Amino acid sequence: MLLEEILIFGTMQGALLALLALGFSLVYGVGGLLNLAHGAFFLVTAYIVYWTILFLTPILGPSNYPLVFAIAAVVGLSCILTIGAVTYLGLMKPLQKSHIGVVLVTFAMAFFFEQFVKFVGDPKTHYIAPFVPGTVTLFERITFSAQLLALIFGSVILVTLVTLFISKSTIGKSIRAVSQDLEAAKLVGINTDMVMMTSVMISALLVGFAAVLYAPGNYIAPRIGWGYLLLAFSVTIFGGMGSIPGSILGAYVMGYATTLTDYLINPSFSQIVPLIVILVMLLVRPQGLLGKKGLQ
Amino acid sequence: MMQLRFDWRSLVSRFRIWALSFRGGITLLCLVGLLLVPLTGREYLVTIVITAMILTIFAASWDFLAGFAGQVSFGHAAFFGISGYLTAASVKFFGAPWFVAVPIGAGTAVVFSLLIGIPCLRLKGPYLALGTLAFALILYNLFLTGTWLGGTEGISGLPNIGNVFVIFYIMAAFMVASLIIMRAIVDSRLGTILKAIRDDEVGADASGINTTVYKLIAFMVSGLFAGVSGALFVLDNTAVNPAVYQPLYSFYAIIMASIGGIATIYGSIVGSFLFTLLSEFLRPLAAASLLIFATLLILIIRFAEEGVMNPFLEHVRDLWDKIRGK
Repeated sequence: MLLEEILIFGTMQGALLALLALGFSLVYGVGGLLNLAHGAFFLVTAYIVYWTILFLTPILGPSNYPLVFAIAAVVGLSCILTIGAVTYLGLMKPLQKSHIGVVLVTFAMAFFFEQFVKFVGDPKTHYIAPFVPGTVTLFERITFSAQLLALIFGSVILVTLVTLFISKSTIGKSIRAVSQDLEAAKLVGINTDMVMMTSVMISALLVGFAAVLYAPGNYIAPRIGWGYLLLAFSVTIFGGMGSIPGSILGAYVMGYATTLTDYLINPSFSQIVPLIVILVMLLVRPQGLLGKKGLQ
Repeated sequence: MMQLRFDWRSLVSRFRIWALSFRGGITLLCLVGLLLVPLTGREYLVTIVITAMILTIFAASWDFLAGFAGQVSFGHAAFFGISGYLTAASVKFFGAPWFVAVPIGAGTAVVFSLLIGIPCLRLKGPYLALGTLAFALILYNLFLTGTWLGGTEGISGLPNIGNVFVIFYIMAAFMVASLIIMRAIVDSRLGTILKAIRDDEVGADASGINTTVYKLIAFMVSGLFAGVSGALFVLDNTAVNPAVYQPLYSFYAIIMASIGGIATIYGSIVGSFLFTLLSEFLRPLAAASLLIFATLLILIIRFAEEGVMNPFLEHVRDLWDKIRGK
């Protein structure tokens, strides 16, 4: 029975990690931009969803919870898209010349969002009710919240869509061109600023979806952003910086690995798994599993 | 004997020239002003200045690594915290006096800087920053969930070093010594090598510099001073808890060094005094104060990459030259 449990919970963990890491890796691959506010994007989306639910529930009534949640999700996702675009135009683009400037400014942004959430709301933990009620029982003994099935399906669909978008659409082709050679892409008339803004927005949208799908049924607090940043970072290093197949593969491998540690050793030990993965990967294979300079 | 006296004389005359120059004069004036603070007899003010001085060392240690060696660390809280914990443990559990505990703490920080430095040197630029951040976060989680060294509660109830005024002069001595040592390293041959690595690592490598060794040295020096400040911080607070590992403390170092101006060392004095005084001033606003700081940092990085110290001093100098009619 252990094997099934690890497979199921590992897939859930992997689905979450794929959503988190894909955008992070994409933004780095395209513009060499390291977005430390990635975890804060998750945080902000989760809180906007939470606040909208708080605001709408008295108006529409608690019986209409799925509708309330749908509105909240749309509000949260559109907010995070706007935040992504504004972050790129206002902060990343002017500082693009010095990569460390981007890192500093996004670090400050992550801190800003943490404090903003604390200031507007409160530093306590909150709970968002899951939008898919009830639990699912598989193999007659493994029980988990039905919400997590939504996470898996949502993640698989989104990851497939984004991968297709990048490999087939015109904008996706420009994204790949910019990631391979910025100067040459400019020469053939690609609007590189627009391409980078699009990739930051895709990344924000993915992490926003991660928040919409994973935060319900879980506790949210102002400090959670850093943990998700760490996860995205370790998956990206593991799978290869800037490689899209690498980060998807890395996400699932990491997911199974942390679940395995949860079961075999101790749940509190699984927090160290990302660090060990980072350390081993950096010493053995610094470019990651499928790491290459350009996207594939 | 002759030789010695000659050296002494040239040292004195060099000091006089420096003291009469614009920057030297300002530095001495500020130092005298700082040492006179306890004479006002206001304990509250003295306490704030003590915190500012400790944070100055911390900010300067970050500035040393980021500004001169070009290795941006986002996990400086790791050195700060581990040294604080070891200092607190040796005072509390082994009854060590504070002047023994500080080297123990700082030494541990150096060992940790090696542990963090060796794997992280594979990383360049932004990834190094994230790698160090990961280390600090892991330490934070370990100390928060673990039961060793006091668990979530941390270690509290350390004995006081002395009264506030004694602490003040001890901290002032530590701050001045640390800053002078760091500045001396930066101006020495080692500092030149570090700057070469910062500006062009491949070029430095090609001209025969063992970049790995020098980057590790930079990590160790920075870890040492961050450790010193962490130890002093814990001794001053007489308590330590896992919160010292938070990204917040790394953020403090970065914001203070950025306010003062990166790659100046002395800028961290301006930065940390401004930061500490401002945060005391904003205390009535509670949660909003950190929000204001975060906004401030975004604005400073976006619009004033040089910080406030050097541009301000330039303006004052122009004004001074005008007054003297030059």
